[in-house]
Amino acid sequence: MSEPDSPRWLKEVTDELRRDVIVRSTWRTRLLEEVARARKPSAHDTVDERFDDEGELGHQPERHHRAITLGPLAGLAAATVLVALGAGVTYMAMSARGGGSADRQRSVAAAPPQLVSGAPASSEREVVRFELSAPRASRVALVGSFNEWNPVATPLSRDPASGKWVVSLRLPPGRHVYAFVVDGDVTADPAAPRAADDDFGSTNSVVLVTAPRT
Amino acid sequence: MIVRLLALAFAAASITAAAGAQAVDRTLPAQLSVPTRATLERLIDSARVAGLPIDPLYSKVREGVFRSADESRVVAAVQRLARDLGDARMALGDSAGAEEVTAGANALRAGLHPADLSRLREARRPRSDHPLTVALVVIADLATRGVPAAMAVASVNELVTRNVSDGSLLSFRQNVERDLVGGRSPASALDARTRALIDDERRRP
Repeated sequence: MSEPDSPRWLKEVTDELRRDVIVRSTWRTRLLEEVARARKPSAHDTVDERFDDEGELGHQPERHHRAITLGPLAGLAAATVLVALGAGVTYMAMSARGGGSADRQRSVAAAPPQLVSGAPASSEREVVRFELSAPRASRVALVGSFNEWNPVATPLSRDPASGKWVVSLRLPPGRHVYAFVVDGDVTADPAAPRAADDDFGSTNSVVLVTAPRT
Repeated sequence: MIVRLLALAFAAASITAAAGAQAVDRTLPAQLSVPTRATLERLIDSARVAGLPIDPLYSKVREGVFRSADESRVVAAVQRLARDLGDARMALGDSAGAEEVTAGANALRAGLHPADLSRLREARRPRSDHPLTVALVVIADLATRGVPAAMAVASVNELVTRNVSDGSLLSFRQNVERDLVGGRSPASALDARTRALIDDERRRP
């Protein structure tokens, strides 16, 4: 549609829009300065204007990158929040996978089972102390050949002095196979030798008990 | 002082609470189906008739149930253990005790051959009444930690031949384990620890 063929009302509207807006000269000057400042690339602007979105050389249409400047305290606070958010997301992701992996990561080596010196051993059994460091666990138990693999028979208690989960058992001499149950998840003792007979998919630990000292 | 008293009281209480550790329950778990229980009873009866220790077999069943293993897997594990117990008994002789045979079965599972057990029995000839349980446990544990079974057998055989005590054998195992964790090669760790133990034994009056 050419301008001469336009209806009269459209011509009037166009003329009105083309008319200069009368503003104060100081306002116009300030407005032009702001526009010029906004178009000038800043020192923090990392946009590479040589390449377009397809990776070809050319003019990058318009990208506005804003640099955020933080003070030391604000930066520390922001970093803390980000780390907390990351840890939370990781924990939720691992829990969503079944919780087993997360539980295993909570358990760390404390010490291999040890004969308790000075403990009252019977004529046929030695007192053996088991311990596990699992600070985030809410419940730890011991299962093994000595308690019929019963997960409720031998709970561990949190030692108020060391914070570790511990239990002491009277065991007969020989080789005993066992594992810990940490919040329902079965895990070998990280500090003890592993058994060879992993018939059911995961290894157990071994404790060697020598004959009682006389 | 108060903390120490609390710790002592706690230790005493935990020993008392756990004193109920009992002998192996020789019944089959009710969770298993009737056909599986019948199969397991036949297996265990056969082992009993053959004079093999049966407590490890019951324990294996319990472990399988605890770990929610398929019943077929439980039966297979018990079959394999019974076979290893039989092989260990053959290799170690009729005079071998239940603990010794059980340790021998585990050593076979760790990669030893029955002939290795027989050689170990020959090595202890000078004191033939002494059980090989600790020696077998040491070999099996070393093999489980990545030491080639033949090397572990050779070292422990040499120590048994020289009448090294069980306590020294256990210390030997711990020292080799420590060396391996520290990055030493199995051959180097075994050689150094074996020589050191033999030297210690020589120096004793």
